[in-house]
Amino acid sequence: MTATVGTQPPSRRRWLRAPKFLLAIPSFVWYIFLFVVPVGLVIVNSFGKKVPGSPGKVDLTSPSLDRYHEVISGSFRSLLKLTMQTSILGTFLCLVISMPVAYLLAFKVGPKAKTAVLALLMVPFFANFLLRTLAWRIVLQPEGFLSHFLQSGHWFTFGQALMNGRIEILDTRAAVQIAIVYNYLPLMIFPLWVALDRVELHLREAAKDLGANRWRTFTQVTLPLAGPGIVAGLILVFVPLSGDYVTAALLGGAKGNMIGAEVANQYFRAQDAASGSAIAVSLIISILIVLGVMASCFWFASKLRKRSRAILVVAR
Amino acid sequence: MKKYLTITTGLATWTAGVIIFLFMPIVFLMAMSFNEFKSIFKWTRFSTRWWGHMLDNASLTSSVRVSVEVAVISTLLALVLGTLAGLALARRPGKWTAGFVGLILLILVTPEIVDGAGQLSWFVRLGGVFREGLTPIVLVHTVFSSAVVTLIVRARVAGLDARLEEAAADLFATPVRAFWQITLPLVMPAVLSGGMLAFTLSLDNVVSTSFVSPAGITTFPNYVFGLSGGIIRPEVAAMATLFIGATLLAVAVVAVVLRRGGQSGSEIAATFTGN
Repeated sequence: MTATVGTQPPSRRRWLRAPKFLLAIPSFVWYIFLFVVPVGLVIVNSFGKKVPGSPGKVDLTSPSLDRYHEVISGSFRSLLKLTMQTSILGTFLCLVISMPVAYLLAFKVGPKAKTAVLALLMVPFFANFLLRTLAWRIVLQPEGFLSHFLQSGHWFTFGQALMNGRIEILDTRAAVQIAIVYNYLPLMIFPLWVALDRVELHLREAAKDLGANRWRTFTQVTLPLAGPGIVAGLILVFVPLSGDYVTAALLGGAKGNMIGAEVANQYFRAQDAASGSAIAVSLIISILIVLGVMASCFWFASKLRKRSRAILVVAR
Repeated sequence: MKKYLTITTGLATWTAGVIIFLFMPIVFLMAMSFNEFKSIFKWTRFSTRWWGHMLDNASLTSSVRVSVEVAVISTLLALVLGTLAGLALARRPGKWTAGFVGLILLILVTPEIVDGAGQLSWFVRLGGVFREGLTPIVLVHTVFSSAVVTLIVRARVAGLDARLEEAAADLFATPVRAFWQITLPLVMPAVLSGGMLAFTLSLDNVVSTSFVSPAGITTFPNYVFGLSGGIIRPEVAAMATLFIGATLLAVAVVAVVLRRGGQSGSEIAATFTGN
Protein backbone atom coordinates (compact mmCIF):
# COMPACT_ATOMS: atom_id res chain seq x y z
CA MET A 1 0.00 0.00 0.00
CA THR A 2 2.73 2.41 1.01
CA ALA A 3 4.50 1.68 -2.25
CA THR A 4 1.68 3.14 -4.31
CA VAL A 5 1.46 6.42 -2.39
CA GLY A 6 3.29 9.18 -4.21
CA THR A 7 4.12 7.16 -7.29
CA GLN A 8 0.70 6.59 -8.73
CA PRO A 9 -2.81 7.25 -7.49
CA PRO A 10 -4.63 4.30 -5.95
CA SER A 11 -7.09 2.48 -8.17
CA ARG A 12 -9.96 3.95 -6.15
CA ARG A 13 -9.31 7.24 -7.94
CA ARG A 14 -10.22 5.68 -11.25
CA TRP A 15 -13.57 7.49 -11.43
CA LEU A 16 -11.78 10.79 -11.23
CA ARG A 17 -10.02 10.05 -14.49
CA ALA A 18 -12.97 8.36 -16.21
CA PRO A 19 -14.92 9.70 -19.24
CA LYS A 20 -13.81 13.18 -20.01
CA PHE A 21 -17.02 14.90 -21.01
CA LEU A 22 -19.63 12.53 -19.56
CA LEU A 23 -21.16 15.17 -17.30
CA ALA A 24 -21.51 17.67 -20.13
CA ILE A 25 -23.44 15.27 -22.37
CA PRO A 26 -26.91 16.22 -21.05
CA SER A 27 -26.22 19.90 -21.75
CA PHE A 28 -24.75 19.08 -25.11
CA VAL A 29 -27.82 17.11 -26.20
CA TRP A 30 -30.04 19.87 -24.77
CA TYR A 31 -28.29 22.59 -26.78
CA ILE A 32 -28.32 20.57 -30.00
CA PHE A 33 -32.03 19.92 -29.60
CA LEU A 34 -33.12 23.39 -28.45
CA PHE A 35 -30.55 25.73 -30.02
CA VAL A 36 -28.52 24.25 -32.88
CA VAL A 37 -31.44 22.55 -34.65
CA PRO A 38 -33.82 25.55 -34.27
CA VAL A 39 -31.24 28.08 -35.47
CA GLY A 40 -30.31 25.72 -38.33
CA LEU A 41 -34.00 25.53 -39.18
CA VAL A 42 -34.17 29.33 -39.42
CA ILE A 43 -31.30 29.29 -41.91
CA VAL A 44 -32.83 26.45 -43.94
CA ASN A 45 -36.32 27.98 -43.89
CA SER A 46 -34.98 31.28 -45.21
CA PHE A 47 -34.43 29.57 -48.58
CA GLY A 48 -38.00 28.25 -48.72
CA LYS A 49 -41.45 29.53 -49.52
CA LYS A 50 -44.58 30.21 -47.47
CA VAL A 51 -47.21 27.47 -47.36
CA PRO A 52 -50.57 29.30 -47.48
CA GLY A 53 -52.91 28.32 -44.68
CA SER A 54 -50.43 26.47 -42.47
CA PRO A 55 -48.57 28.86 -40.15
CA GLY A 56 -44.99 27.98 -39.29
CA LYS A 57 -44.67 25.57 -42.22
CA VAL A 58 -42.26 26.25 -45.06
CA ASP A 59 -42.17 24.76 -48.56
CA LEU A 60 -38.59 23.69 -49.28
CA THR A 61 -39.13 21.81 -52.55
CA SER A 62 -37.50 24.51 -54.67
CA PRO A 63 -34.93 26.37 -52.54
CA SER A 64 -34.15 29.89 -53.73
CA LEU A 65 -32.75 33.25 -52.64
CA ASP A 66 -36.10 34.95 -53.39
CA ARG A 67 -36.79 35.81 -49.73
CA TYR A 68 -33.43 37.58 -49.51
CA HIS A 69 -34.24 39.53 -52.67
CA GLU A 70 -37.42 40.68 -50.97
CA VAL A 71 -35.49 41.71 -47.87
CA ILE A 72 -32.90 43.66 -49.87
CA SER A 73 -35.33 45.35 -52.24
CA GLY A 74 -38.26 45.99 -49.91
CA SER A 75 -38.82 48.38 -47.04
CA PHE A 76 -36.95 45.91 -44.81
CA ARG A 77 -33.61 47.21 -45.98
CA SER A 78 -34.20 50.75 -44.72
CA LEU A 79 -35.62 49.34 -41.47
CA LEU A 80 -32.53 47.17 -41.07
CA LYS A 81 -30.36 50.24 -41.61
CA LEU A 82 -32.36 52.26 -39.07
CA THR A 83 -32.11 49.37 -36.59
CA MET A 84 -28.34 49.26 -36.98
CA GLN A 85 -28.10 53.06 -36.57
CA THR A 86 -30.22 53.00 -33.43
CA SER A 87 -28.19 50.09 -32.04
CA ILE A 88 -24.78 51.61 -32.80
CA LEU A 89 -25.81 54.98 -31.33
CA GLY A 90 -27.36 53.21 -28.32
CA THR A 91 -24.22 51.14 -27.68
CA PHE A 92 -22.03 54.23 -28.02
CA LEU A 93 -24.22 56.25 -25.62
CA CYS A 94 -24.17 53.36 -23.13
CA LEU A 95 -20.36 53.31 -23.30
CA VAL A 96 -20.00 57.08 -22.80
CA ILE A 97 -22.54 57.23 -19.96
CA SER A 98 -21.13 54.12 -18.23
CA MET A 99 -17.45 55.01 -18.32
CA PRO A 100 -17.44 57.65 -15.54
CA VAL A 101 -19.59 55.38 -13.34
CA ALA A 102 -17.27 52.40 -13.91
CA TYR A 103 -14.21 54.59 -13.32
CA LEU A 104 -15.61 55.89 -10.04
CA LEU A 105 -16.46 52.36 -8.89
CA ALA A 106 -13.08 50.95 -9.85
CA PHE A 107 -10.74 53.67 -8.57
CA LYS A 108 -12.39 56.38 -6.54
CA VAL A 109 -14.51 54.87 -3.77
CA GLY A 110 -13.85 52.73 -0.72
CA PRO A 111 -15.26 49.21 -0.33
CA LYS A 112 -18.32 50.32 1.65
CA ALA A 113 -19.39 53.03 -0.80
CA LYS A 114 -18.65 50.67 -3.68
CA THR A 115 -20.95 47.99 -2.27
CA ALA A 116 -23.67 50.60 -1.75
CA VAL A 117 -23.45 51.94 -5.33
CA LEU A 118 -23.33 48.40 -6.76
CA ALA A 119 -26.40 47.46 -4.71
CA LEU A 120 -28.25 50.50 -6.07
CA LEU A 121 -27.29 49.60 -9.64
CA MET A 122 -28.58 46.05 -9.06
CA VAL A 123 -32.13 47.28 -8.50
CA PRO A 124 -32.86 48.38 -12.10
CA PHE A 125 -30.76 45.45 -13.38
CA PHE A 126 -33.06 42.93 -11.70
CA ALA A 127 -36.34 44.84 -12.03
CA ASN A 128 -38.38 43.10 -14.72
CA PHE A 129 -37.31 44.11 -18.24
CA LEU A 130 -40.77 44.51 -19.73
CA LEU A 131 -42.23 46.33 -16.73
CA ARG A 132 -39.43 48.86 -16.46
CA THR A 133 -39.63 49.52 -20.21
CA LEU A 134 -43.40 50.00 -20.09
CA ALA A 135 -42.82 52.40 -17.21
CA TRP A 136 -41.18 54.81 -19.67
CA ARG A 137 -44.64 55.34 -21.20
CA ILE A 138 -45.66 56.81 -17.86
CA VAL A 139 -42.53 58.96 -17.56
CA LEU A 140 -42.83 60.34 -21.09
CA GLN A 141 -46.56 61.14 -21.10
CA PRO A 142 -47.04 64.63 -22.61
CA GLU A 143 -49.45 65.45 -19.75
CA GLY A 144 -47.40 63.58 -17.20
CA PHE A 145 -45.44 64.64 -14.15
CA LEU A 146 -42.08 65.06 -15.86
CA SER A 147 -43.56 67.10 -18.71
CA HIS A 148 -45.28 69.46 -16.24
CA PHE A 149 -42.14 69.65 -14.16
CA LEU A 150 -40.12 70.74 -17.18
CA GLN A 151 -42.74 73.37 -18.07
CA SER A 152 -42.99 74.83 -14.58
CA GLY A 153 -39.39 75.43 -13.59
CA HIS A 154 -37.91 78.75 -14.68
CA TRP A 155 -34.51 77.23 -14.21
CA PHE A 156 -35.25 74.68 -16.85
CA THR A 157 -35.53 77.15 -19.78
CA PHE A 158 -33.13 74.90 -21.65
CA GLY A 159 -35.65 72.09 -21.59
CA GLN A 160 -38.40 74.50 -22.66
CA ALA A 161 -36.44 75.78 -25.62
CA LEU A 162 -35.60 72.24 -26.61
CA MET A 163 -39.11 70.84 -26.79
CA ASN A 164 -41.53 73.70 -26.27
CA GLY A 165 -41.78 72.70 -22.65
CA ARG A 166 -43.82 69.60 -23.43
CA ILE A 167 -42.42 66.14 -23.81
CA GLU A 168 -43.85 64.88 -27.05
CA ILE A 169 -41.54 62.07 -27.98
CA LEU A 170 -43.67 59.03 -27.19
CA ASP A 171 -44.07 56.79 -30.26
CA THR A 172 -40.99 58.20 -31.94
CA ARG A 173 -37.46 56.91 -32.43
CA ALA A 174 -36.23 59.32 -29.73
CA ALA A 175 -38.29 57.52 -27.08
CA VAL A 176 -36.93 54.18 -28.30
CA GLN A 177 -33.38 55.54 -28.15
CA ILE A 178 -33.81 56.74 -24.56
CA ALA A 179 -35.36 53.49 -23.40
CA ILE A 180 -32.74 51.41 -25.19
CA VAL A 181 -29.92 53.29 -23.47
CA TYR A 182 -31.84 52.86 -20.21
CA ASN A 183 -32.35 49.12 -20.67
CA TYR A 184 -28.81 48.25 -21.67
CA LEU A 185 -26.92 50.71 -19.45
CA PRO A 186 -26.46 48.27 -16.53
CA LEU A 187 -25.28 45.63 -19.00
CA MET A 188 -22.47 48.03 -19.95
CA ILE A 189 -21.62 49.45 -16.51
CA PHE A 190 -20.86 46.09 -14.87
CA PRO A 191 -18.44 44.66 -17.49
CA LEU A 192 -16.67 48.04 -17.72
CA TRP A 193 -16.30 48.21 -13.97
CA VAL A 194 -14.93 44.65 -13.80
CA ALA A 195 -12.53 45.38 -16.68
CA LEU A 196 -11.20 48.56 -15.03
CA ASP A 197 -11.12 46.91 -11.61
CA ARG A 198 -8.75 44.24 -12.90
CA VAL A 199 -6.18 46.80 -14.08
CA GLU A 200 -3.49 46.56 -11.46
CA LEU A 201 -2.96 49.59 -9.30
CA HIS A 202 0.82 49.46 -9.45
CA LEU A 203 0.82 49.75 -13.25
CA ARG A 204 -1.18 52.97 -13.03
CA GLU A 205 1.05 54.21 -10.23
CA ALA A 206 4.12 53.45 -12.32
CA ALA A 207 2.69 55.57 -15.15
CA LYS A 208 2.14 58.45 -12.73
CA ASP A 209 5.64 58.06 -11.27
CA LEU A 210 7.01 58.33 -14.78
CA GLY A 211 5.31 61.70 -15.13
CA ALA A 212 2.07 60.81 -16.90
CA ASN A 213 -0.88 62.96 -15.89
CA ARG A 214 -4.31 61.56 -15.04
CA TRP A 215 -5.64 61.70 -18.61
CA ARG A 216 -2.52 60.15 -20.12
CA THR A 217 -2.53 57.37 -17.53
CA PHE A 218 -6.17 56.66 -18.40
CA THR A 219 -5.77 56.68 -22.19
CA GLN A 220 -2.36 55.03 -22.44
CA VAL A 221 -2.29 52.58 -19.55
CA THR A 222 -5.74 51.91 -18.09
CA LEU A 223 -7.81 51.82 -21.29
CA PRO A 224 -5.51 49.50 -23.29
CA LEU A 225 -5.25 47.12 -20.33
CA ALA A 226 -9.02 47.13 -19.86
CA GLY A 227 -9.51 46.83 -23.65
CA PRO A 228 -10.66 43.19 -23.88
CA GLY A 229 -13.23 43.72 -21.12
CA ILE A 230 -14.52 46.85 -22.82
CA VAL A 231 -14.88 45.03 -26.13
CA ALA A 232 -16.78 42.24 -24.34
CA GLY A 233 -19.11 44.87 -22.88
CA LEU A 234 -19.69 46.42 -26.30
CA ILE A 235 -20.59 43.04 -27.83
CA LEU A 236 -22.83 42.05 -24.92
CA VAL A 237 -24.78 45.29 -25.32
CA PHE A 238 -24.80 45.66 -29.10
CA VAL A 239 -25.93 42.15 -30.04
CA PRO A 240 -29.03 41.75 -27.86
CA LEU A 241 -29.89 45.41 -28.43
CA SER A 242 -30.05 45.03 -32.21
CA GLY A 243 -32.37 42.03 -31.91
CA ASP A 244 -34.59 43.67 -29.28
CA TYR A 245 -37.98 44.73 -30.60
CA VAL A 246 -39.91 44.76 -27.32
CA THR A 247 -38.56 48.17 -26.33
CA ALA A 248 -39.46 49.57 -29.75
CA ALA A 249 -42.89 47.95 -29.73
CA LEU A 250 -43.68 49.47 -26.34
CA LEU A 251 -42.38 52.99 -27.00
CA GLY A 252 -41.72 53.55 -30.68
CA GLY A 253 -45.13 53.19 -32.29
CA ALA A 254 -44.99 53.06 -36.08
CA LYS A 255 -42.09 55.50 -36.30
CA GLY A 256 -39.68 53.76 -33.97
CA ASN A 257 -39.91 50.22 -35.30
CA MET A 258 -36.98 47.80 -35.15
CA ILE A 259 -36.26 44.92 -37.54
CA GLY A 260 -36.98 42.27 -34.90
CA ALA A 261 -40.63 43.33 -34.95
CA GLU A 262 -40.76 42.42 -38.64
CA VAL A 263 -39.56 38.89 -37.85
CA ALA A 264 -42.38 38.56 -35.34
CA ASN A 265 -44.87 40.14 -37.78
CA GLN A 266 -43.95 37.68 -40.53
CA TYR A 267 -44.41 34.74 -38.18
CA PHE A 268 -47.61 35.84 -36.45
CA ARG A 269 -49.50 38.17 -38.81
CA ALA A 270 -48.36 37.17 -42.30
CA GLN A 271 -47.79 33.56 -41.12
CA ASP A 272 -44.79 33.50 -43.42
CA ALA A 273 -41.98 31.69 -41.61
CA ALA A 274 -39.80 31.78 -44.74
CA SER A 275 -39.70 35.59 -44.95
CA GLY A 276 -39.39 35.85 -41.15
CA SER A 277 -36.38 33.53 -41.27
CA ALA A 278 -34.75 35.50 -44.09
CA ILE A 279 -35.14 38.73 -42.11
CA ALA A 280 -33.69 37.04 -39.01
CA VAL A 281 -30.68 35.77 -40.97
CA SER A 282 -30.22 39.25 -42.52
CA LEU A 283 -30.20 40.66 -38.99
CA ILE A 284 -27.44 38.24 -37.96
CA ILE A 285 -25.42 39.09 -41.07
CA SER A 286 -25.80 42.83 -40.35
CA ILE A 287 -24.67 42.29 -36.75
CA LEU A 288 -21.63 40.36 -37.95
CA ILE A 289 -20.77 43.10 -40.46
CA VAL A 290 -20.96 45.81 -37.76
CA LEU A 291 -18.86 43.67 -35.38
CA GLY A 292 -16.35 43.08 -38.18
CA VAL A 293 -16.06 46.79 -38.90
CA MET A 294 -15.73 47.46 -35.17
CA ALA A 295 -12.97 44.84 -34.83
CA SER A 296 -11.00 46.24 -37.76
CA CYS A 297 -11.34 49.75 -36.31
CA PHE A 298 -9.86 48.53 -33.02
CA TRP A 299 -7.11 46.69 -34.88
CA PHE A 300 -6.31 49.76 -36.96
CA ALA A 301 -6.31 52.05 -33.91
CA SER A 302 -3.89 49.85 -31.98
CA LYS A 303 -1.65 49.54 -35.06
CA LEU A 304 -1.66 53.31 -35.43
CA ARG A 305 -0.86 53.82 -31.79
CA LYS A 306 2.13 51.48 -31.92
CA ARG A 307 3.33 53.10 -35.13
CA SER A 308 3.13 56.66 -33.81
CA ARG A 309 5.02 55.57 -30.74
CA ALA A 310 7.73 54.00 -32.92
CA ILE A 311 8.03 57.24 -34.91
CA LEU A 312 8.37 59.21 -31.68
CA VAL A 313 11.14 56.91 -30.49
CA VAL A 314 12.98 57.23 -33.82
CA ALA A 315 12.60 61.02 -33.81
CA ARG A 316 14.21 61.22 -30.42
CA MET B 1 -5.68 67.58 -3.52
CA LYS B 2 -8.21 70.15 -4.63
CA LYS B 3 -8.07 68.88 -8.21
CA TYR B 4 -8.53 65.32 -6.99
CA LEU B 5 -11.64 66.35 -5.10
CA THR B 6 -13.23 68.08 -8.10
CA ILE B 7 -12.70 65.07 -10.35
CA THR B 8 -14.13 62.69 -7.78
CA THR B 9 -17.04 65.05 -7.10
CA GLY B 10 -17.74 65.27 -10.83
CA LEU B 11 -17.72 61.49 -11.19
CA ALA B 12 -19.92 61.07 -8.12
CA THR B 13 -22.44 63.62 -9.43
CA TRP B 14 -22.53 61.83 -12.79
CA THR B 15 -23.06 58.48 -11.06
CA ALA B 16 -25.85 59.95 -8.91
CA GLY B 17 -27.50 61.24 -12.09
CA VAL B 18 -27.24 57.80 -13.71
CA ILE B 19 -28.77 56.15 -10.64
CA ILE B 20 -31.67 58.64 -10.65
CA PHE B 21 -32.18 57.97 -14.37
CA LEU B 22 -32.22 54.22 -13.72
CA PHE B 23 -34.68 54.46 -10.84
CA MET B 24 -37.06 57.03 -12.31
CA PRO B 25 -39.34 54.81 -14.42
CA ILE B 26 -39.53 52.12 -11.74
CA VAL B 27 -40.60 54.69 -9.15
CA PHE B 28 -43.16 56.15 -11.59
CA LEU B 29 -44.63 52.69 -12.25
CA MET B 30 -44.87 51.88 -8.54
CA ALA B 31 -46.45 55.27 -7.80
CA MET B 32 -49.11 54.65 -10.46
CA SER B 33 -50.36 51.60 -8.56
CA PHE B 34 -51.77 54.14 -6.08
CA ASN B 35 -53.61 56.06 -8.78
CA GLU B 36 -57.35 56.58 -8.37
CA PHE B 37 -58.04 56.78 -12.11
CA LYS B 38 -58.50 53.59 -14.17
CA SER B 39 -55.33 54.08 -16.25
CA ILE B 40 -51.68 54.15 -15.25
CA PHE B 41 -51.00 56.85 -17.84
CA LYS B 42 -52.95 59.69 -16.18
CA TRP B 43 -52.56 60.54 -12.51
CA THR B 44 -55.63 61.87 -10.67
CA ARG B 45 -55.68 61.17 -6.91
CA PHE B 46 -54.08 58.88 -4.38
CA SER B 47 -56.01 55.69 -3.76
CA THR B 48 -55.27 52.13 -2.70
CA ARG B 49 -58.38 50.64 -4.29
CA TRP B 50 -56.55 48.90 -7.17
CA TRP B 51 -54.41 46.93 -4.74
CA GLY B 52 -57.64 45.29 -3.60
CA HIS B 53 -58.73 44.54 -7.17
CA MET B 54 -55.43 42.94 -8.08
CA LEU B 55 -56.48 39.41 -7.12
CA ASP B 56 -59.93 39.67 -8.76
CA ASN B 57 -58.46 39.81 -12.24
CA ALA B 58 -58.23 36.11 -13.15
CA SER B 59 -56.12 36.49 -16.28
CA LEU B 60 -53.66 38.66 -14.35
CA THR B 61 -53.25 36.22 -11.46
CA SER B 62 -53.05 33.17 -13.71
CA SER B 63 -50.31 34.83 -15.79
CA VAL B 64 -48.31 35.45 -12.62
CA ARG B 65 -48.80 31.82 -11.60
CA VAL B 66 -47.52 30.66 -15.01
CA SER B 67 -44.49 32.96 -14.68
CA VAL B 68 -43.55 31.63 -11.25
CA GLU B 69 -44.11 27.96 -12.16
CA VAL B 70 -42.08 28.26 -15.34
CA ALA B 71 -39.30 30.11 -13.50
CA VAL B 72 -39.09 27.47 -10.73
CA ILE B 73 -39.05 24.46 -13.08
CA SER B 74 -36.66 26.00 -15.60
CA THR B 75 -34.30 27.12 -12.81
CA LEU B 76 -34.11 23.59 -11.39
CA LEU B 77 -33.44 22.14 -14.85
CA ALA B 78 -30.83 24.81 -15.64
CA LEU B 79 -29.10 24.13 -12.31
CA VAL B 80 -28.82 20.39 -12.97
CA LEU B 81 -27.60 20.85 -16.55
CA GLY B 82 -25.32 23.79 -15.78
CA THR B 83 -23.73 22.35 -12.62
CA LEU B 84 -22.84 19.06 -14.35
CA ALA B 85 -21.49 20.83 -17.44
CA GLY B 86 -19.57 23.38 -15.34
CA LEU B 87 -17.95 20.55 -13.33
CA ALA B 88 -16.99 18.72 -16.51
CA LEU B 89 -15.51 21.88 -18.05
CA ALA B 90 -13.38 22.68 -15.00
CA ARG B 91 -12.31 19.15 -14.04
CA ARG B 92 -12.18 17.31 -17.36
CA PRO B 93 -10.74 19.79 -19.84
CA GLY B 94 -9.80 18.38 -23.20
CA LYS B 95 -10.27 18.85 -26.88
CA TRP B 96 -14.04 19.03 -26.42
CA THR B 97 -13.81 22.07 -24.10
CA ALA B 98 -13.19 24.68 -26.81
CA GLY B 99 -16.13 23.52 -28.89
CA PHE B 100 -18.47 23.36 -25.92
CA VAL B 101 -17.49 26.78 -24.57
CA GLY B 102 -17.84 28.14 -28.12
CA LEU B 103 -21.38 26.75 -28.27
CA ILE B 104 -22.21 28.37 -24.93
CA LEU B 105 -20.85 31.75 -26.05
CA LEU B 106 -22.84 31.43 -29.27
CA ILE B 107 -26.00 30.82 -27.21
CA LEU B 108 -25.23 33.88 -25.07
CA VAL B 109 -24.78 36.25 -28.03
CA THR B 110 -27.48 35.01 -30.42
CA PRO B 111 -30.34 37.52 -30.52
CA GLU B 112 -33.36 36.03 -28.80
CA ILE B 113 -35.56 36.74 -31.79
CA VAL B 114 -33.53 34.21 -33.82
CA ASP B 115 -33.75 31.43 -31.21
CA GLY B 116 -37.44 32.14 -30.68
CA ALA B 117 -38.28 32.00 -34.37
CA GLY B 118 -36.33 28.75 -34.80
CA GLN B 119 -37.78 27.14 -31.69
CA LEU B 120 -41.31 27.91 -32.91
CA SER B 121 -40.67 26.30 -36.31
CA TRP B 122 -39.05 23.31 -34.64
CA PHE B 123 -41.84 22.82 -32.08
CA VAL B 124 -44.49 23.12 -34.79
CA ARG B 125 -42.77 20.28 -36.64
CA LEU B 126 -42.49 18.14 -33.52
CA GLY B 127 -46.02 18.91 -32.34
CA GLY B 128 -47.61 17.11 -29.37
CA VAL B 129 -46.20 18.00 -25.98
CA PHE B 130 -44.08 20.76 -27.53
CA ARG B 131 -47.20 22.76 -28.32
CA GLU B 132 -49.04 22.22 -25.01
CA GLY B 133 -48.91 23.50 -21.46
CA LEU B 134 -45.81 24.93 -19.84
CA THR B 135 -43.35 22.52 -21.52
CA PRO B 136 -42.31 24.65 -24.53
CA ILE B 137 -41.88 27.77 -22.37
CA VAL B 138 -39.82 25.92 -19.76
CA LEU B 139 -37.63 24.32 -22.44
CA VAL B 140 -36.71 27.57 -24.19
CA HIS B 141 -35.99 29.31 -20.88
CA THR B 142 -33.47 26.64 -19.85
CA VAL B 143 -31.25 27.14 -22.91
CA PHE B 144 -29.91 30.58 -22.04
CA SER B 145 -30.03 30.16 -18.25
CA SER B 146 -28.20 26.81 -18.15
CA ALA B 147 -25.44 28.39 -20.27
CA VAL B 148 -25.10 31.14 -17.65
CA VAL B 149 -25.09 28.61 -14.77
CA THR B 150 -22.43 26.55 -16.56
CA LEU B 151 -20.02 29.50 -16.78
CA ILE B 152 -20.56 30.51 -13.13
CA VAL B 153 -20.07 26.95 -11.83
CA ARG B 154 -17.01 26.45 -14.03
CA ALA B 155 -15.38 29.59 -12.62
CA ARG B 156 -16.04 28.44 -9.06
CA VAL B 157 -14.82 24.84 -9.57
CA ALA B 158 -11.68 26.07 -11.33
CA GLY B 159 -10.80 27.94 -8.12
CA LEU B 160 -11.19 24.82 -5.94
CA ASP B 161 -8.45 22.38 -5.01
CA ALA B 162 -8.86 19.18 -7.02
CA ARG B 163 -7.11 17.26 -4.22
CA LEU B 164 -10.29 17.52 -2.12
CA GLU B 165 -12.08 15.21 -4.55
CA GLU B 166 -9.03 12.97 -4.78
CA ALA B 167 -9.02 12.69 -1.00
CA ALA B 168 -12.69 11.71 -1.10
CA ALA B 169 -11.88 9.01 -3.64
CA ASP B 170 -8.95 7.76 -1.55
CA LEU B 171 -11.30 7.49 1.41
CA PHE B 172 -13.59 5.12 -0.53
CA ALA B 173 -16.26 7.66 -1.50
CA THR B 174 -18.32 6.67 -4.51
CA PRO B 175 -18.59 9.34 -7.23
CA VAL B 176 -22.16 10.13 -6.18
CA ARG B 177 -21.26 10.40 -2.50
CA ALA B 178 -18.22 12.58 -3.23
CA PHE B 179 -20.44 14.86 -5.30
CA TRP B 180 -23.08 15.31 -2.60
CA GLN B 181 -20.72 15.56 0.37
CA ILE B 182 -17.66 17.34 -1.03
CA THR B 183 -18.15 18.97 -4.42
CA LEU B 184 -21.70 20.30 -4.11
CA PRO B 185 -21.20 22.07 -0.75
CA LEU B 186 -18.06 23.68 -2.16
CA VAL B 187 -19.75 24.92 -5.33
CA MET B 188 -22.91 25.94 -3.45
CA PRO B 189 -22.22 29.71 -3.75
CA ALA B 190 -22.02 29.34 -7.54
CA VAL B 191 -25.18 27.22 -7.58
CA LEU B 192 -27.01 29.86 -5.53
CA SER B 193 -25.94 32.77 -7.73
CA GLY B 194 -26.57 30.75 -10.87
CA GLY B 195 -30.00 29.71 -9.66
CA MET B 196 -30.90 33.28 -8.80
CA LEU B 197 -29.80 34.44 -12.26
CA ALA B 198 -31.66 31.60 -13.99
CA PHE B 199 -34.80 32.51 -12.02
CA THR B 200 -34.70 36.21 -12.90
CA LEU B 201 -33.77 35.49 -16.54
CA SER B 202 -36.84 33.29 -16.80
CA LEU B 203 -39.07 35.97 -15.26
CA ASP B 204 -37.58 38.54 -17.67
CA ASN B 205 -38.04 36.55 -20.86
CA VAL B 206 -40.52 37.97 -23.34
CA VAL B 207 -39.36 37.27 -26.89
CA SER B 208 -38.87 33.51 -27.11
CA THR B 209 -41.79 33.04 -24.73
CA SER B 210 -44.08 34.95 -27.09
CA PHE B 211 -42.99 32.72 -29.97
CA VAL B 212 -43.48 29.31 -28.35
CA SER B 213 -46.39 29.95 -25.91
CA PRO B 214 -49.33 27.62 -26.63
CA ALA B 215 -52.71 29.32 -27.13
CA GLY B 216 -54.24 30.49 -23.86
CA ILE B 217 -51.06 30.26 -21.80
CA THR B 218 -49.13 33.43 -21.08
CA THR B 219 -46.55 34.66 -18.61
CA PHE B 220 -46.96 37.89 -16.64
CA PRO B 221 -44.59 40.01 -18.79
CA ASN B 222 -46.23 38.69 -21.97
CA TYR B 223 -49.68 39.38 -20.55
CA VAL B 224 -48.65 43.00 -19.92
CA PHE B 225 -47.00 43.15 -23.36
CA GLY B 226 -50.32 42.09 -24.85
CA LEU B 227 -52.11 44.91 -23.00
CA SER B 228 -49.73 47.59 -24.26
CA GLY B 229 -51.27 49.92 -26.79
CA GLY B 230 -54.50 50.02 -24.82
CA ILE B 231 -55.46 51.15 -21.34
CA ILE B 232 -53.51 49.56 -18.52
CA ARG B 233 -55.26 49.61 -15.17
CA PRO B 234 -53.41 50.41 -11.92
CA GLU B 235 -54.02 46.85 -10.68
CA VAL B 236 -51.39 45.77 -13.22
CA ALA B 237 -49.00 48.35 -11.75
CA ALA B 238 -49.80 46.99 -8.28
CA MET B 239 -48.98 43.45 -9.40
CA ALA B 240 -45.85 44.78 -11.12
CA THR B 241 -44.77 46.44 -7.86
CA LEU B 242 -45.28 43.18 -5.99
CA PHE B 243 -43.46 41.24 -8.75
CA ILE B 244 -40.42 43.55 -8.81
CA GLY B 245 -40.38 43.73 -5.00
CA ALA B 246 -40.41 39.94 -4.65
CA THR B 247 -37.65 39.53 -7.24
CA LEU B 248 -35.44 42.10 -5.51
CA LEU B 249 -36.10 40.45 -2.15
CA ALA B 250 -34.95 37.10 -3.55
CA VAL B 251 -31.81 38.72 -4.98
CA ALA B 252 -31.11 40.43 -1.65
CA VAL B 253 -31.54 37.17 0.31
CA VAL B 254 -29.06 35.37 -1.96
CA ALA B 255 -26.65 38.31 -1.66
CA VAL B 256 -26.85 38.24 2.15
CA VAL B 257 -26.28 34.46 2.23
CA LEU B 258 -23.21 34.84 -0.01
CA ARG B 259 -21.99 37.73 2.12
CA ARG B 260 -22.24 35.57 5.23
CA GLY B 261 -20.28 32.95 3.34
CA GLY B 262 -17.40 35.41 3.15
CA GLN B 263 -17.72 36.96 -0.30
CA SER B 264 -17.21 40.70 -0.69
CA GLY B 265 -19.85 43.03 -2.11
CA SER B 266 -17.79 43.43 -5.27
CA GLU B 267 -17.44 39.68 -5.80
CA ILE B 268 -21.19 39.20 -5.38
CA ALA B 269 -21.97 42.04 -7.79
CA ALA B 270 -19.57 40.66 -10.39
CA THR B 271 -21.08 37.15 -10.17
CA PHE B 272 -24.67 38.41 -10.25
CA THR B 273 -24.09 40.37 -13.41
CA GLY B 274 -22.40 37.48 -15.14
CA ASN B 275 -18.86 38.83 -14.95
